[in-house]
Amino acid sequence: MSFYLSAIILGLGFASLAMGIFISMRIFNIPDITTDGSFTLGGVVAAVLISDGYTPLFALPIAFFAGAAAGAITGFIHTRLKVNALLAGILVMTALYSINLAIMGRSNLPLINYPSIFSSSSFSDSLAIQQFIILTLIILVIFSALIWLLKTDFGLAMRATGNNEKMIRALGVNTDAMKIFGIALANGLTAISGYLITQIQGFADINMGIGVVIIGLGSVMIGQILFSRKGNERLLIQLTGVIIGSIVFRMILAFALSIGIDAIYLKLVVAVFVLIVVSIPNLKSKA
Amino acid sequence: MKYLFYSFLLVFISCTSPKSNKPIIGFIDQLQDETLEKAKTGFFDALKQNGFDSSSIEVIYRNAQNDQPTMLQSLDYIISKNPTLIATNPTLPTISAVQKTKTIPIFMMVSPRPDLAKLTDAAGKSPANLFGTYETLDYLDTALLLIKNVLPNAKKVGTIYNQSEPQSVDALARIEKTCTDAGLVLIKMPVNNSSETQLVVASLLSENIDAFFALPDNTVFSSMEIIVKSCDDKNVPVFTSEEGLVSRGAVAAFGADMYQWGFQSGTQAASFLKSKSTSGLAPEIVTVRRRVYNQMKAEQFGLAFDSTFTSVK
Repeated sequence: MSFYLSAIILGLGFASLAMGIFISMRIFNIPDITTDGSFTLGGVVAAVLISDGYTPLFALPIAFFAGAAAGAITGFIHTRLKVNALLAGILVMTALYSINLAIMGRSNLPLINYPSIFSSSSFSDSLAIQQFIILTLIILVIFSALIWLLKTDFGLAMRATGNNEKMIRALGVNTDAMKIFGIALANGLTAISGYLITQIQGFADINMGIGVVIIGLGSVMIGQILFSRKGNERLLIQLTGVIIGSIVFRMILAFALSIGIDAIYLKLVVAVFVLIVVSIPNLKSKA
Repeated sequence: MKYLFYSFLLVFISCTSPKSNKPIIGFIDQLQDETLEKAKTGFFDALKQNGFDSSSIEVIYRNAQNDQPTMLQSLDYIISKNPTLIATNPTLPTISAVQKTKTIPIFMMVSPRPDLAKLTDAAGKSPANLFGTYETLDYLDTALLLIKNVLPNAKKVGTIYNQSEPQSVDALARIEKTCTDAGLVLIKMPVNNSSETQLVVASLLSENIDAFFALPDNTVFSSMEIIVKSCDDKNVPVFTSEEGLVSRGAVAAFGADMYQWGFQSGTQAASFLKSKSTSGLAPEIVTVRRRVYNQMKAEQFGLAFDSTFTSVK
């Protein structure tokens, strides 16, 4: 049972990343590759600050703003320098590799014998339950803040920018600024994921971000398929779906690991399971 | 939604498994790799020689396929089965396992000395449940100096290293110093993944190096063939510190025998299984290192090796 709890914990750790991808992908229609770099950046910032003796809580906003800065650069390259959004993301992600190495000074930094965000308060004697509660709280705060933000006039303008950029520009909104802000916010959330995962796994590694954009995209899509019904585009439901999607993704992998598939076929089986989970609702509606 | 619920239910039901009294060995590999495979084979051969085979132990083997979240979840799974011990191969699973459990004995292999991996506490002590076999960087000196012995006129040595692997960066720093001491010029270039190797090696070869030294990192392991091919075209011999790379086209090596490395960790694990106690056990340095050469490559470059070298295929 605790094994599935730890899968949920990882899922919650990646939920912030999934919400970030939701913003860049679903609101702005940009598959933001910066994610791979800003995720590691969040983890690296957390590891370096914590191992330098700062409190984990202090590292949280710094990780967020570091990620946001990276995202803002991607947004700037994309909007002001008119570089294709995919390429802009790839460039910043590539550059972040060096930045992350430079910040960390080595490629792997274990956090053994250092406090983590999960040790700063005590809800339970079990580390797993402690992690679960604190992660749930953090994700709930991010979730609420995001719902609030996206429902303000500013947030509406941001969402509208993704829907119909020309019209919104005609209404006098600076759509470039909206995009830069949106991508910055998305990468700030991604960096929080990196920050959380580093403390869950107890180390930061230069390669920890490889492929996480896929994890985020997968979570967003799974959430969308499982939760959205025709004509129901409510933000609350969409974002809930994203978080659940992130957890489902981990549960599927956990299930695949627990049934003991030959290691060679692990990824194939995970892909097939994801396909099964997302296709069941559609098969039913056709019938 | 309903289906989602059912699928979760299925997951929970399927996770109950029958209990057996055999000791459970959890073995975790970070990726699919020939070299790591040797260490794994060595580990289980050692267990078998001590009477622990499939009839007396239960093995849970998971391979993370080089994906870090998968590695974490694999470890979580192994730990949830209450294993008697966990074997980790190589460094990253070792670091994660140390984080995840303070009680289950961990037998590492193909990992650096705990302090090099930053696994020691403020007092310099390694985790109490960490055992197995490690390597330092001392052997690299001998490996690099093979070049000096075999090619007395060599001046320039080229190498590539992977910035993302601690052992690769540490190894580079080490051979840089050794080269300076030995009067060799080291030309180094960074690679980040195996798709870049060909290009980087080509630009390295344009510097007219006399020999190539292959650091034993994962990039080199996954792209050795292209390194050898590029070097062959320019008639540059490849030296290294890992036997497996000699079978794959390097001329000669001095370094740990990966099979023996796993075997040594396996022997430790077997003694723990017998005595049910970790007292007297501690992380130990790998003991079997040897000089090896590749007969075919030696002839190709017109090099001769004496009887202190073993020929490998």
